[in-house]
Amino acid sequence: MSAQVYASGECHLPTTDPPLDLKPLVKETTGEAVRRIGRFIQLALIGAGRCAKAAAVPPDTAVYFASGRGDFETTVEVMATLFRDGGAPKPLSFVNTVSNAACYYVARTLKLQSRSNFVCNRNLAFESVLQLALVEVESGAAASALVGSVDAVTMPLAEHRRRVHLPADAPLAEGSHWLWIGPARDDRPRLGEVLAVEQFSDAASLLAWIATQQLDAGNCAFSAGQFLDADAAQGLRTQAGLTQVFDYRAGRGHYSSQSGAAIAEFLASAPPGARLLHVNADPADCFSAMLVSR
Amino acid sequence: MPGCYFIGAGLHTALGRGTAENLATLQGGFTAPSMALAHYAGRTQALPYRTLRDAAPSGSDSAGELSRLDAVLDYTLGTALEQAGLTPAERARTGLFLGTSAFDIGVSEAEYREQLQAHPTAIPLDRQPSASLGQFALRMRSRHGIRGPDFSFNTACTASANALMHADAMVRSGRLAHAVVVGVETFNAITALGFQGLQLLSPDNMKPFDRNRNGLVLGEACAALVLGTQPRRAGSFFLRGSANLCDTHSMSAANPDGSTVSLVIRRALQSASLAPRDITALKAHGTASLLNDEAEAAGMRQVFDIMPPVCALKPWLGHTLGACGLNELLLFCAAAEQGLLIGTPGIALDSDLGVQLNQGPTPLPTGNFMLNFFGFGGNNTSLIVANAA
Repeated sequence: MSAQVYASGECHLPTTDPPLDLKPLVKETTGEAVRRIGRFIQLALIGAGRCAKAAAVPPDTAVYFASGRGDFETTVEVMATLFRDGGAPKPLSFVNTVSNAACYYVARTLKLQSRSNFVCNRNLAFESVLQLALVEVESGAAASALVGSVDAVTMPLAEHRRRVHLPADAPLAEGSHWLWIGPARDDRPRLGEVLAVEQFSDAASLLAWIATQQLDAGNCAFSAGQFLDADAAQGLRTQAGLTQVFDYRAGRGHYSSQSGAAIAEFLASAPPGARLLHVNADPADCFSAMLVSR
Repeated sequence: MPGCYFIGAGLHTALGRGTAENLATLQGGFTAPSMALAHYAGRTQALPYRTLRDAAPSGSDSAGELSRLDAVLDYTLGTALEQAGLTPAERARTGLFLGTSAFDIGVSEAEYREQLQAHPTAIPLDRQPSASLGQFALRMRSRHGIRGPDFSFNTACTASANALMHADAMVRSGRLAHAVVVGVETFNAITALGFQGLQLLSPDNMKPFDRNRNGLVLGEACAALVLGTQPRRAGSFFLRGSANLCDTHSMSAANPDGSTVSLVIRRALQSASLAPRDITALKAHGTASLLNDEAEAAGMRQVFDIMPPVCALKPWLGHTLGACGLNELLLFCAAAEQGLLIGTPGIALDSDLGVQLNQGPTPLPTGNFMLNFFGFGGNNTSLIVANAA
C-alpha cells in the first residue's frame, strides 16, 4: 500500500540574530495576519500554507503534525513567568502550550474540517507522523492528509544552544516541511509516491526489509537521516547495494526534524521514476525507512 | 485484516491501584478531593486535586518527582505487559503509543526551581539529557524492553484516546503484532495554575450536566493497555469504531451549537457500522464546565432520538486531561465486565441540557459502548468499544 504526494511546502530558515520576523511571511502565505501566535505556530502556517497554495487542498483533508522538540518558546515563557517571576500563566499562553494548537491554526486558516493530530518523537518526528498518516489514508479513515513537522529556535540563541546541547558557534536553523498525501486520483497532478514508511527494532530487520524492496542502484538514491551515524549510513547503503547519495543536509543548520526536507527536495529535483530510500535512527539503535518515488 | 483486542491493562488513579481497587472504592461513594501544593517563586498554593491514591506525594525535589513518575509508570505498564503475557521478544517488537498533555513537566519544574535557587539567572529546560518531549517515551521504552516505534500524542484531553485509535490502526494494518497504549498525567504547577487562570476549577466535587455545575477538579492518573491480534478470552473488549475531528470553532471549547460534537459522534458510528440505537451506554466527556457540557449535550441530543444511559467518570477520577481517554476507558470496561454501568449520584438535571447522568450502579448487558473526549486545540474524539461476540 502507498500514498500519492500531491504537493509539498517548505520553509527552511538559517537562523540569524535576531531571527527573521515571520509575521510578513505568514501574511504572504495565508493572506491573513494571524495574531498572538509564536514562531512554532507561525512556521507551521508558512509550511502548510505553501503546501496548500501549491495545490487545491480540499476541506476533508486531515492535519498530521509532528515535532522533535515541540513548542519550546511557549513552554519556556510560561515556565519563566511562573517560577522566576511569580506570575500565573497567561490564559492564551497556557492554552498554546498544547502542541496541537498549531493543528488548530493550520486547520482554521486553511479551512480544513477533518482529523488532526500532533505527534512527538525525539529523533523520528517526520517519519512517525508520515507513517500514521499513511495508515489512515490506506484504510480510508482520512481522505487525504497534510503531513508536516516543525522545529523552531527560542531566543536568546545562546540559551537555545545550551538547551539542545550545541557548542556556542553551532549554526542553527528552523524548518517546516509539509507534504499533501492521498490515495491515487486521476484528476490530480502528483509529485510522486510514498511507497513505504517503516520502523525497525534493529539493523538486521531493516536490512531484511530492504532486501524485499528490489531496489535498483541505477535509479534509487540513498539519503541518511540526521541521527544516523555516518559510518552506519555508509554500511547500510553498501549492504542495500545502493551507490547514489542524495545529500539534502549540506549547509543546513541544526534543528530536530529534517527528514521531511529529504523527501520534498528529492521530489522537486529527481527525474521521473527515480526512487529515494531515506534511513534514520534513534538513540536506542532502532531505525526508520521511508521509500519514495518521483 | 487482523482483529485487535484489549489483552492486558494496568490502572492507577485517585481511586486506587488496579481495576479491582478502583471498582471497590467506587462503592464507598464520593469523597472530597485532596489538596495538591503548587510551589513557585517562593510561594505555595493549595488547589483541590484528585491525586493518585497510594503514591508518594508530589512536590519533592526533581529526583523525587522523577522517581515518583517512574514508580507509577512501572506499575501500570508492567502490570499491562505482564497481564498480556508478552515474551521479551514480543515486547521488543511492540510499539509504544503515549498520550499525555504534560509529559514529565513536573520533573522539569522541580529542576528549574532548584536551579533558580542556586542561580537566579537559570533558564527553563536547561541541563537536561535532552530537552525534547519524545525523551519521555524513550525512557519508558528503555525501562520496559520495548523496541518498537514510539509515538507521543499531545492533543490535550484527547491524547490517549487518539493514541489508542492509532495503535489499533497500526495493529489492524499488520505493521505491529502488539501495541501498548499509555495515558499518563501527574500533578504540575503550570497545569494547575493555568486552569485556575482560565477560571475552570471547581472548589468542590464536579457535577457534569448539573444545573449548578461550577467547573472541574483536576486529577492524576496513569493507565496502560496492551493491544494484540488474538483475544485473551471470550468477550474481550475491542475498539469497534472511532473518529477524530478538528473543531475550528475555538481553541478552548467545542462549538456550543453541538454541530461538531454530533459530527464526530456520527463519524464514529459510521466507522463502527452502527446506528445510534445500537449504542448500549455512553460515557460522556463531562467536564462540568459551562461551555463543554452545553456543546456536548447539544451534540448528543442531535444524534440520539432516545438517549442511551449516560455516565461521566470525571467526578470520581478528576479531569486527568491527556490521560482521561485511557483511564476512563479501562474503568468503564472493568465495570462493564462485571455487568455494571457506573453511576454518578447527586446530579440534578439541567433541563436546558437535557442529559441525565446515571445516578447509581445499574445493570449493563454486553454491547457497544461510546466514550467521548474533547480537548483544547479543537480536538474531538469519539470511541466505540464492544464486548459482544
